[in-house]
Parts: sequence; structure tokens; C-alpha cells
Amino acid sequence: MNMIVPLSELRPGESGVVINLQGGPNFRSKLYPMGLAPGVIIRVLDRFQFGPVIIEAGGTRLAVGKNMAAKIMVRKL
Amino acid sequence: MAMKIVALAGNPNVGKTTIFNALTGMKQHVGNWPGVTVEKKEGIFEYEGERFLVVDLPGTYSLTAHSIDELVARNFLLNGNPDVVVNVVDATSILRNLYLTLEIFEMGLKNVVVALNKIDLAEKKGIKIDAKKMSKVLGVPVVPLDAKDGIGMKELKDVIVAVAHGEVEETPIIPTYEPAVEREIEHISKCLEGTKLVSKYPVRWLALKLLQRDEEVMKLVERHLGQEGLDRVMTHINEVEERYGKAMDLVIAGQKYEFIDGLTHEFMSYGRAGGEPFTDQLDRLLVHPVYGFVVMAIVFYFVFKFIFVFGLPIQNWLAEAFTDFGNWLAPHIASEALRGLLVDGIIGGVGMVLSFFPLVFLLFLALSFLEDLGYMARIAVLMEGILRKFGLPGKAVIPLILGLGCNVPAVMATRTIEDEKDRLVTMFVNPFVPCSARLSVISFLAGLFFPKESALVAASIYALAFTVAILSAWLVSHFVKGESGLFVIELPEYLVPSGKALLLHSWERSKEFVRKAGTVILVGALLIWYLSNYPVPIGTGGSYAEKLGHLFGPYMGLMGLDWKAAVSLLFGIIAKENVISTYGVLYGTAAAIRSAMTPLQAYVLMAVTTLYIPCIATIGAIRAESNWKWAALATAYMITVASIVGILIWHVGLLLGWGA
Repeated sequence: MNMIVPLSELRPGESGVVINLQGGPNFRSKLYPMGLAPGVIIRVLDRFQFGPVIIEAGGTRLAVGKNMAAKIMVRKL
Repeated sequence: MAMKIVALAGNPNVGKTTIFNALTGMKQHVGNWPGVTVEKKEGIFEYEGERFLVVDLPGTYSLTAHSIDELVARNFLLNGNPDVVVNVVDATSILRNLYLTLEIFEMGLKNVVVALNKIDLAEKKGIKIDAKKMSKVLGVPVVPLDAKDGIGMKELKDVIVAVAHGEVEETPIIPTYEPAVEREIEHISKCLEGTKLVSKYPVRWLALKLLQRDEEVMKLVERHLGQEGLDRVMTHINEVEERYGKAMDLVIAGQKYEFIDGLTHEFMSYGRAGGEPFTDQLDRLLVHPVYGFVVMAIVFYFVFKFIFVFGLPIQNWLAEAFTDFGNWLAPHIASEALRGLLVDGIIGGVGMVLSFFPLVFLLFLALSFLEDLGYMARIAVLMEGILRKFGLPGKAVIPLILGLGCNVPAVMATRTIEDEKDRLVTMFVNPFVPCSARLSVISFLAGLFFPKESALVAASIYALAFTVAILSAWLVSHFVKGESGLFVIELPEYLVPSGKALLLHSWERSKEFVRKAGTVILVGALLIWYLSNYPVPIGTGGSYAEKLGHLFGPYMGLMGLDWKAAVSLLFGIIAKENVISTYGVLYGTAAAIRSAMTPLQAYVLMAVTTLYIPCIATIGAIRAESNWKWAALATAYMITVASIVGILIWHVGLLLGWGA
């Protein structure tokens, strides 16, 4: 199944392809250069109850705030 | 002949500073970019007798107009006329790093050298890169490096010099986008034709930036095409996006990565990586919501100890040395007025400025260590969720805790916060955190007036101060311009920092502090010295300080205090511990102070002393890290808050019958 879900719903170990960023232009342009753009494969390394999601994208480890992660749509792999 | 300029550009955490140090050695200087509080590092690089000026641009992921750092870097690349641009690329995350590289190429620069750093780490991760092929694909020289161990530096220097002398023909690769995007680039380019802009900037870059709604480029275009011309272009872009059903910036970013991905296949291959990286294992502990806080508390304990256990004795020793010097000098000066000015005013003032140097130096040492180690990013991750609720970034926890020791290094510590808005809010509220000087006032008064429950009373003052700080942060963050809460941060690989680089950098940063905050401290010290010695010395009742005190007497009365409190608080501006010593001068003994005030008045005095104003050195530090306006605003705000709190405590206390 190729479900499209927010990044915040992926569990540690799961991967996905970024499909869309649902925030304003500032939000988007901050994410692109850090490796979060459509077509990029990401993998969730860790996720905590109240903290950010920790992911790997393009060979880099990123911590993404919970609210931001909810706006990043990915297709589960 | 003017020195040729070498600019260093690249993402944060790619080893740019290591390369900068390796190029320039000890010949470097830390300052600020004009008009903004972005750190500027410059140094001299020598090669066979020729000298080059190396400019370290702020580490950025991109070159948009959204952050000051990126704008500074971009403007330097566009208008600073660098002769060579060294783009430092992290071999362990090529995909993301090349995003910036392509942006640089799209700006039309044809003097770029790619310094492919951390090649050793990449190999460990199983990433194989053919630098020769990469160079051919990108169209610019690529030098593989392991800068930490100095491997490849010789080659890098050779290439930099060759490019500076125009001996290298470059054909940087420019990404192409899908036909729909290319059509729009062409259309916008046509609209811009004939304007002066086109002679100054590459037209393709302008068109791309317009498609991405870059505010600075939109302003540029408006200046040259007029509001109407800009509107025409932007309306067109809106129509295209509507037809397309997607924002252009989203399409461009996605295709840029697709393009990069295509390129990397030609020079990069993945082998087998060995197991889970050490950094991931460590992070499981260090950003864990329980263990992470435990480790952080331990780290803070040691940082605090390191700075204040080493720093405070040196600070006291320096201050005493200056006092001794003044005392030794005094008898040698015949004129009484000159003696006072020189000994109490200037030597005292300079002594105070320099006495902060060890604290600030040790702070920068500790901070740079944590930052280079990679731990600072983990602290941000841990604290972001909690502090953001009050309008503060996760990294604000460091200045908040350091403030318990001294607000001067605490304010300086805000420079590790990337976002300008976050930085301003954090330094604005920091002076509310009671420093060790205020602890001496609080414990003296608590002990004198509340002998039985002094610890509880002191704790209540700390609780009050932190509450005020947090609420103020929440309030102020609503008024400072800028978008916050966009939390995404890189968690770099843990690295052991280089000791020499740490020392050098901290030394340069501390010098900058003395230069910028020093003037404020000196002027303040001289002013207070003048007020307390003219026309007659303090204690006689006729000094300007006492007259000023009487002037504020009625105001102090609103919170149950008298003119003597006003004078004491005035001297507290120099250093908070002066509040008590001034009371001593005015009253004589502790017993006299005890009989002159009720416990309620003493409590008000404690609260007001804690909140009323940053000391002159902290004002200087805020000024150094932001600007005069912000320092003045913070000062005015604190005076207001302290007055309100003082009046409230006094009147509520009276109502509750605690006045006696």
C-alpha cells in the first residue's frame, strides 16, 4: 500500500518519499536546502512523545519539530 | 595591488572553520558584518609570498533572503567581488550539500573551487566518490580533503591560487528543470531584458528567484521595473501555479534534488556501511526525554563550574590588582580632581572591563567546545518543546542557566541561537535571571531581616525572577518581528574539537567583547564616579548622587522605599553588589540598616534589586550582541517591571498587614 501520511506518523525505522510540504513559503524554503524536498527519501530514526522527530535525509540527521513534521507529507515505503 | 579575496562558503558543520584555520593559521580576526550581528571572520592566507584575504561566510544551507546569515553570504558572493569562492562540501551528505553548490553556480560565479571535506568519514560510511569525475561533472575543480588531519590542504591551496590567477577555465553545471519551468524562466527573462539589472546579475538567477518569490529580488525588480512591472510578473507566476496546481518553489526544489541525484550517479557509489553509526547510538541516549535531561544537567553542572570556579577568582584577582594599582598610583598625583578621575574613574572602569575578560573567555571556550562537539544541537532538541511555549528557543536554556553566574557571559551565549528573533528575545529577558552579585544582596538582606526563613525568602525571590523572565519572553516574542517555531535542526556527527582552534576562536571573540562592551562599561563607570564625587563626595548629603536620590525619593515612596534606596540602586547599576555597600556608606552598620527598614521594605528592596536594571556590563553586552536600541529598550522595560512589581508587593503586603 502506498499511503500518503504526515511525517509525524512514521515510526522509527520506517522510510518514505517526500511528496508535499503543506506550510507557507518560509516554512518550505527553510526545509528544501536541508534536504526535505519532493522526491527525497527520508528515514525516521527516532520519535519521542513530546519532542521532535529525528530523521535521516540525504545522508544527514535532522530533528524536525512536531508541528513541522505534521506538515510534511510522505509516501510510505 | 589590492589583496585578492578568497570567500569560504558552505553548510554549517562541514568543517569550514577547520579549513579556514588551516588556510590562515594564527593570522585571523573576528568581527561583525556591517550593520548586522552576524559574526565575520577574516584571515590572511600566504602562498609563495603572495597574500590573500580569506573571508569566512556564515555557514548556510541555502542562499535565500529569509535569514540574515544567508543574505550576508549571498550579498558577499554577488557584490563582494571574491576572486575565488571555496565551496566546502561534506562528502558524507553530498546530496544536501550540492543544493547550495548549485545555487552558487546559478548565481553565475565562474571561480568556484569545491573542497570535498570529510572524505575519510565518507569512506567509513561506505561512500565512494571519484573526485576527478565529480570535477568533470560539476565543471569546476574538486579537491578531496580530510581537513582535520591536514590531508589535501596543499592541493587545495594550489588550486585556490590557480583559480585566483585566472589559470582555470570553469564551466559550472547549471541545472535544467522540466519544460514548463524552463518556459517560465525564459518568459520572465524576456520581461527583465533591457533593464540595468541584467548587467549586474545573471538573468536566469533573477528569473528563478522571482519564481521562488524571493523578497530581496522582488524589491530589486520593483526598483527597476516599477510596481506595475513587478505586479505583471508576479501575476503571471500566480497564473502559472494555478494552472500547474503546485507552487513553483516546490517544483524547483524537487527537481533540483532530482538533478543532483542524476549527477551523483556519475561519480558516487555506495558500498557496504558498517552497522549503526556511533552518533545514532549516542543520540538514542542524549536526546532521550529522560536520560537526555540527566546528561544535560551533568553537562551544565560542569560548564557552570568550569566558567565560574576558574573565572570568578581570576576576575576578583584582576579587580583587586587594578585597585592596588590605583592605590599605589594615588599618592603620586598631586591634583585631587585628577587623582579621583584617574584612580576611581578610569583605572576602576578599565579594571572592571578587563575583569570580565576571563569569564567571557572561559564561556566562549566552553560554548565553542560544546558546539564543535555537536552537543549544542542536542540541547536545542531537548529543550525546544518546553521553552517554545514561552516564546523561547531550546538553546535559550544555556543563557538562562549561565545567568545565575553572571549575565554578561549569558548574554554573549545567545549568539549560538541561529534565529535573529529568538536571539533578541532570549537576551532581552536574560538580565532578569539573578546573577551571583544579586545573590550576595539577596542573601545579605534575607539573612538580616528574615533570619529564620532566609532560604525560603531567597528562593521566593528566585522564583519571582524566573517567573518574570518567562512571562516577559512570552510577551516580548509577540512583538518582535520574525517567524519562529520553525524548528528543524541538523544533528551533526559527534567530533572531537581541535584545542588550538578553540583557544584561538575564543580569544578573538573575547577581544571583540572588550572592544564593544568596554566603551559602555567605561562611560557608565565614569558617570557614576562623577555623580558620587561632585560637587562634594557622597556621605555628606550634597553629592549629585544624593540629590538625584532625593529627586527619586517620592517615586521610591510608592514602593515603600526612600531616597537612600534610590542612591543605592543607582550604584547597583555599576555592579549589583554595590546596592549593599552603598547602604553601608549611607547608614554605617548592618544594625543601622536593620533598624531603618521593616522586613516588608527589605523584601521589596530584594525584589527591586533583582529586577530593576541590567548592570552596566550587561547593558554593554546586550549592546554588543544587538544594538543600542535593544539595550535601551531592555533597560527601560526592566525599570518598568521592577517598579510595578515593587509597588505591588508593597501594597499587597500592607493590605495583608505585613507592614510592621
